[in-house]
Amino acid sequence: MKFRSLIIKNIFRNKTRSLLAILGIALGVATILGLGLVTGGLAASTQQALTADAADFTVISGTSGGGGGPDGASGGGAPGGSGSPGGQQLINQTTISEIQQISGVGTAAGVLRTNVDLNDTSTNSSTNSTSSSTSSTSGSSNGNSGQGQGNFQMMYSVIGIDSSNLGLDDIVIINGTSFSNDNQVIIGEMAAQSLNKTVGDTIILSNQTFTIVGTYETGNFQDDRGIVMSLGKLQSLTGNTDMVSLILVKAANGTDANTLADTIESKYPDELSTSTSLSGMERMNNGLEIIESGSWAVTLLTLLIGSIVVIVTMVKSVVERTREIGVLKAVGWTSKRILTMIMGESLVLALIAAVVGIVIGVGIVEIISIAQLIRGIEPAFSAVLFLEALGVAIFLGIIGGIYPAYRASKLSPTEALRYE
Amino acid sequence: MNNETTTNENIINIKDLKKKYDDGQTAALDGVDLEIRKGEFVSLMGPSGSGKTTLLNMIGALDSAEEGSIIVAGHNLMEKKDFSSFRSKEIGFIFQFHNLIPNLTVSENVQIPMLETDIQDEEMAKRANKLLESLNLGNKVDQVPTKLSGGERQRVAIARALVNHPSIILADEPTGSLDSTTGDIILNILREIHQKENVTLLLVTHEPYVADMADRKISLMDGKIK
Repeated sequence: MKFRSLIIKNIFRNKTRSLLAILGIALGVATILGLGLVTGGLAASTQQALTADAADFTVISGTSGGGGGPDGASGGGAPGGSGSPGGQQLINQTTISEIQQISGVGTAAGVLRTNVDLNDTSTNSSTNSTSSSTSSTSGSSNGNSGQGQGNFQMMYSVIGIDSSNLGLDDIVIINGTSFSNDNQVIIGEMAAQSLNKTVGDTIILSNQTFTIVGTYETGNFQDDRGIVMSLGKLQSLTGNTDMVSLILVKAANGTDANTLADTIESKYPDELSTSTSLSGMERMNNGLEIIESGSWAVTLLTLLIGSIVVIVTMVKSVVERTREIGVLKAVGWTSKRILTMIMGESLVLALIAAVVGIVIGVGIVEIISIAQLIRGIEPAFSAVLFLEALGVAIFLGIIGGIYPAYRASKLSPTEALRYE
Repeated sequence: MNNETTTNENIINIKDLKKKYDDGQTAALDGVDLEIRKGEFVSLMGPSGSGKTTLLNMIGALDSAEEGSIIVAGHNLMEKKDFSSFRSKEIGFIFQFHNLIPNLTVSENVQIPMLETDIQDEEMAKRANKLLESLNLGNKVDQVPTKLSGGERQRVAIARALVNHPSIILADEPTGSLDSTTGDIILNILREIHQKENVTLLLVTHEPYVADMADRKISLMDGKIK
């Protein structure tokens, strides 16, 4: 007979108690694993949604004090700035080429932004198109004013950017395709919902009809209530030929974005400023950190409960076997072997629970995923996560087994043999 | 072995052994002197509380004395150390209640003491089963103890005590929980083992007729040998 066979047989002496203990620990492991899978999936989904190639910072007209965020809708007061949509100070498009030449710049892309009031009540349902009035022509004192004052107004962003640079602005196509000519646009997910538009519909902007060829999301509320078209077309519509509201810059690999931003600012003192405020990814990461903190709190609670479950199970097992432990000592077993036996039982119990817990955890997450109870999140399976779950179980096995094993090993043989 | 024995013939040498119960007042053993020769069959009688089991536990190094000297199979049991190896090699315990592990088979129960030795797994099973066959339990090796009768269980316990070829068997009322017929069978087995193996047998009993089977009878009263 092998010693390990004895350990395994001992675990199932009291099947009900062992199964309850296994279930208790397994649920803990499943909780930890499930949370890990969902949190990891959330992070992965976020990265996917926000794209990995988003711009590192935004260049806008004006000095640092007046800079906006990456979305850069608000402008500063740069000398010589042009009149612009929403009163922004615009940047001449030639600056993009200049910035692109600066060492360390990976990609630089111009973006023109404006706001429009799309009068939803004028939607022509028979043609499935929307009549709209544009209010965002150049010279407007602010981007939120427009025609149709006195009526209910819904302001939407209109973004002009080359389709090849959508990723720089965190724009991810979720349905359809990107625009390929000046008569096509893509529409933000929230705008599509509020305007009841979908791929294939048309929309009228500045009396011109555009076909919606895709829907997108950015994770940014303002931008998701918007419409994106080619930069040239929006420049033409707004009369801002060769002008952009902001320049998105992504640093080349190995270049520090902050240093690069400083270089650009120093090259264009009093003309351009940069903004490296929180990107969508960073904001989302902050949220993920909070979720991960909560996940750790649950893990700690699980460890505590799991440890208690193992301790209670093993102590009860040792108490029940007191007399037997006395016999084992009488036949020559050392305290070390008895300690090893109880610790072994505790560990094997925890390992079985780990396997059950992993199956339960993966099963529940898969069911949730298949049933789309949490939309848009794919469980993030990783070897590290499974090793963590296994590690937790081993930790529980050791912590939960120490006291009962020590107690058993220190039992006086004569007292143990007298135990009723 | 026998590195500290004072008398070559004696396997057990006890002098003025004293031990108090847990209350610290009552003497369990009050100056016991006892010498047992190697291969001797000795019965130990006495009323309840006379110190029989305490003395047996001390000879088996399960308990320790406060005063006196006790040397068993050459081991000075007054030393403060772990005597697990001594018990494994030299002592075979048989209790009134068989104390078998219920979830293990008969064969596995007998193999338990061998887990502390270097014997290979296959050899363990072989040795246990051979011993069980000699005790007419060859057809029960794969059964669990709960399926056995009282006498069969006690025979398994005897096999467990013998499996490491101990030099001393300490039997604490081995027939106490058995009917007289089964008890006689067990006693005959023990006597046979003693004769065949030349093993030293110290048997605690209440029954005078059981005590009469031994080479020598010792009576214990109030912690003293009469």
